[in-house]
Amino acid sequence: MIQLRNIRKTYGKHSVLNGINITVEKGDVIAILGPSGSGKTTLLRCINFLEHPNEGEITIGEVAVDCKHASKKDVLALRRKTAMVFQHYNLFKHKTVLQNVMEGLTVVQKMPAEEAREISLLMLAKVGLTHKADSYPSQLSGGQQQRVGIARALALNPEVILFDEPTSSLDPELVGEVLTVIQNIAQEGVTMIVVTHEMGFARDISNHIVFMEEGRIIEEGKPQDIFNAPKEERTKQFFKRFTNEWSYSI
Amino acid sequence: MQLDISFIMTAFLEILQALPLTLAITFVPLVIGFGIGIGIALIRLYEVRYIHRVAGFYVSFLRGTPLILHIYIVYLGIPMIFDRLSAHFGWGMNSSSIPLIIFIFIAFSLNAGAYMSEIIRSGILAVNKGEIEAAYSIGMTTRQAMWRIVLPQALLISLPNLCNMFIGLLHGSSLAFSISLLEINGKASIVASTNWKFVESYIAAAIIYWGLTLIAEQITGLLEKRLRTFAKGGVA
Ligand SMILES: Nc1ncnc2c1ncn2[C@@H]1O[C@H](COP(=O)(O)OP(=O)(O)OP(=O)(O)O)[C@@H](O)[C@H]1O
Ligand SMILES: [Mg+2]
Repeated sequence: MIQLRNIRKTYGKHSVLNGINITVEKGDVIAILGPSGSGKTTLLRCINFLEHPNEGEITIGEVAVDCKHASKKDVLALRRKTAMVFQHYNLFKHKTVLQNVMEGLTVVQKMPAEEAREISLLMLAKVGLTHKADSYPSQLSGGQQQRVGIARALALNPEVILFDEPTSSLDPELVGEVLTVIQNIAQEGVTMIVVTHEMGFARDISNHIVFMEEGRIIEEGKPQDIFNAPKEERTKQFFKRFTNEWSYSI
Repeated sequence: MQLDISFIMTAFLEILQALPLTLAITFVPLVIGFGIGIGIALIRLYEVRYIHRVAGFYVSFLRGTPLILHIYIVYLGIPMIFDRLSAHFGWGMNSSSIPLIIFIFIAFSLNAGAYMSEIIRSGILAVNKGEIEAAYSIGMTTRQAMWRIVLPQALLISLPNLCNMFIGLLHGSSLAFSISLLEINGKASIVASTNWKFVESYIAAAIIYWGLTLIAEQITGLLEKRLRTFAKGGVA
């Protein structure tokens, strides 16, 4: 189980997260939605301490961290319970696809190379990239790179995978392949927190939607409830804008 | 006055005997300076308490003063310190027993370290921040991320500049003659002093330096190509 309690984050005087509480059960797929600048990325990055929250508590499995007094050891412990898939993939450019996936296993988990290799190839098969194992990231399309990013996260067998807009830097025709991969692993019971602007995708894969604005959770609940009958005015407006955009694109 | 082409050849062969010394004066400081450079770059990047100021001063001072002065200061200063310490601790040794080349190694290494720290530092800063975050996100420590993800890429980025450093040191090695070490430049002077054909002798020396420089450039080119396979498409 993952618990975020009263997470607060400020940049100087600008308060970006104003006390966020979220509970994630094993196997949950949480989608975080909200307008640009509402703090979705920041929240995600606070969970693995790529940003240091000013206040709050993060509990992942048996690791409980008081953010204000987090030590290096705490941070490392949290990071070893989580994995992240980045908007811009952030693959290690000087390593092959296989090495990218193996890196965390051999270096962080100290797994013997042979075992790490087996697991990594298995993960690459899951994202359909076995044939690219020896390529370098620069030789892959954006969609393929992102699938490697997903395999790298998956290989670590983390308690939760954090996705920050995994498809938003992809060409439209490559979005589908990545969403399909994410959907498949969601069905395998991998716990995930996904920040996305793909409304349809969020509705289809998540079992819980969190709607954020100005660093607060405005509304949350089951996807069908939030999408079909949002209670808050802000949520209604937000979805209306998206339905409008959809109708434009048709 | 006529140029004595055949003497250029004679001088060339004789000067070549000084090649090992020149290469030693180039490579030893390159390697030591590289170590110093990485150390100083990391100290300054992580702003290690107190010593990063010392490191900053070191880089600023050595880059702000000519190599020939570093040679003189080391050559004259170290014996002073050495003899003091020797007398104090009763080592029973005199600074005159220190081989000349040691002073050159020290002066050149300190000089190269200062320049290389800047080269490596800018290489480190050029590495994609996203990859460092990815390294942290999979649970790497700062040290693991630095050694496995950042430095390999930083050094590759720095490779052309490090090659220039090598060429700079190679040419700088001619200054070792100022404390009477007979490297290529010194040897050329000696060879010419027998018949006063200085121009021929220096031309021969120049050809050797140029040849070495060309070789260095070739090797760097090959190295870059080899190491950079990942940066290009094509090699599947
Ligand atoms: N390093 C930073 N320094 C200062 N302010 C920041 C920093 N990072 C983010 N912010 C601010 O925090 C707020 C929330 O940013 P965040 O990136 O979390 O939003 P988001 O919900 O992910 O937006 P988007 O949908 O555009 O990705 C924004 O107002 C942003 O300007
Ligand atoms: Mg964002």
